[in-house]
Amino acid sequence: MFRVPLLIALALSITFGVGILSTVSALKATVGFGAIALGPWIAFPNAQTADTDPYAKAHRARAGKLLYGGAEGLQFTATTDDSGETLNTACSYEISGLTPPARFWTLYTTTPTDMPLKATPDLPGGLNAWTVLRKADTSFVIHVSTTARPDNWIAVPRIGAFKLVLTLLDTPAAGSSGVIDLSMPKIVRTGCGNV
Amino acid sequence: MFRILFAIVAGLVGAALLHIVIILALPQFTGKDAYSRVLGLFEMDSFFSLTNEPGATGLANEDPYLRVAVCAFSVNNGPTRFVARGRVPFWSFAVYDENSNEVFSMNDQTAVNGNLDLVVATPIQLVELRKTPAEALSQSILVQMSGEDGYAVLRALAPTPSYEETARNFLTESSCQTLRP
Repeated sequence: MFRVPLLIALALSITFGVGILSTVSALKATVGFGAIALGPWIAFPNAQTADTDPYAKAHRARAGKLLYGGAEGLQFTATTDDSGETLNTACSYEISGLTPPARFWTLYTTTPTDMPLKATPDLPGGLNAWTVLRKADTSFVIHVSTTARPDNWIAVPRIGAFKLVLTLLDTPAAGSSGVIDLSMPKIVRTGCGNV
Repeated sequence: MFRILFAIVAGLVGAALLHIVIILALPQFTGKDAYSRVLGLFEMDSFFSLTNEPGATGLANEDPYLRVAVCAFSVNNGPTRFVARGRVPFWSFAVYDENSNEVFSMNDQTAVNGNLDLVVATPIQLVELRKTPAEALSQSILVQMSGEDGYAVLRALAPTPSYEETARNFLTESSCQTLRP
C-alpha cells in the first residue's frame, strides 16, 4: 500500500541529498575550471571575468573575495609541496628559485579556509620582493617553519595544514599567454618534528 | 525491484538537474558576494579603507603588504570619477560590476603621470562627455560600463612598515564621486 509513496520519497531524498552534497563539495574542492597549475602552484587568471565558467562564478559569490583584476596581478596558491604532500606546520619547508617576471611579489601563509595566518606581530609572517634576501644570481631560498631560521624565514603558528599564497603584481603572466612556460619557486620539505 | 531501480535513476537525474540549478542560481542569492560585502559598508561615493582584521562584512587587507580601499558606486545619476594622487611604490585599481565581473583594471604604470584619474560612465553618458570635453577631464581615462552599479577596489603597496603611512594616506586621500556637470 505504501510502495508508491516510498518510491517517491526515495527518489526525492536521492535528488536533494546527492544534488546538494555534490554542489557543496564541488564548490569546496575547486575555484572553477581554467586553472593554471605550475607544480604545486595554482592560479585562476580568468576567475574575475564575465566569461568565466559557472562554477567559478558560484564559488566567488560564496567566497566574497576581492579578486585581482587582469592588470593588477595574479595570485598563486599552493596547498602541497613539490612531492604532492599537503603542507603542514609540523614540518619545515624550503621555497627556492625565482618567481615569474613581475614588478613586485608578496608571499604569505593562510589557513586552508583562506584566513591569513599571523604568527605574532613580532615574527615575520610574510616576505616580498624587496625584503627577501637573495643570492648573487638573484634567486632566493625561503624557510617556512615554526622555529626561527637564518636568512629568509616565514614564521607559521602550529595549526596543522596551511596554504602558501604568492601574489605577482603587474605581471605579464596574468595575460595568460605562454604562462605554462613560466617557472615557479620549488617547495621542498626539509624535515618534520623538532629538527 | 525494477521500480526501486527506476526510483534511484529518477533521483539521480533530479540530483544532476538540482546541481546545475544551484550552481547557476547561487550568484544571485548568496548575499555574501563581494558586491554585497562592499555595499554593506554603507560607504557610497567615497573609498573605504579596509582594516587588517575582518570588518563588519568580512572584508580585510588579506595581503600583509597591500592596503586595500573599496568604493561602491552607481552611474545612475551621472558618471563616477575616481581620483588618487601620491607616491606609493605600486598601486592598482579595478572596477567590477554588481555581479563582480571585472570591467576595467589598471596599475600605476598604465596611468597618466602615475596618478589615478578615471571616469566610469554608461555609453550614453560617454557620448555626452565626448561631445563637450571638459578641461578638467582632459587627462582622465574614460571607461564604459553597461550596468549601472558596481564597486571599485584600490590597492596600495607598503613593502616595509615605513611605507605604511604613505599607503594609508594614498588611500584616504583618494576619491570616488559622482561627476556633477
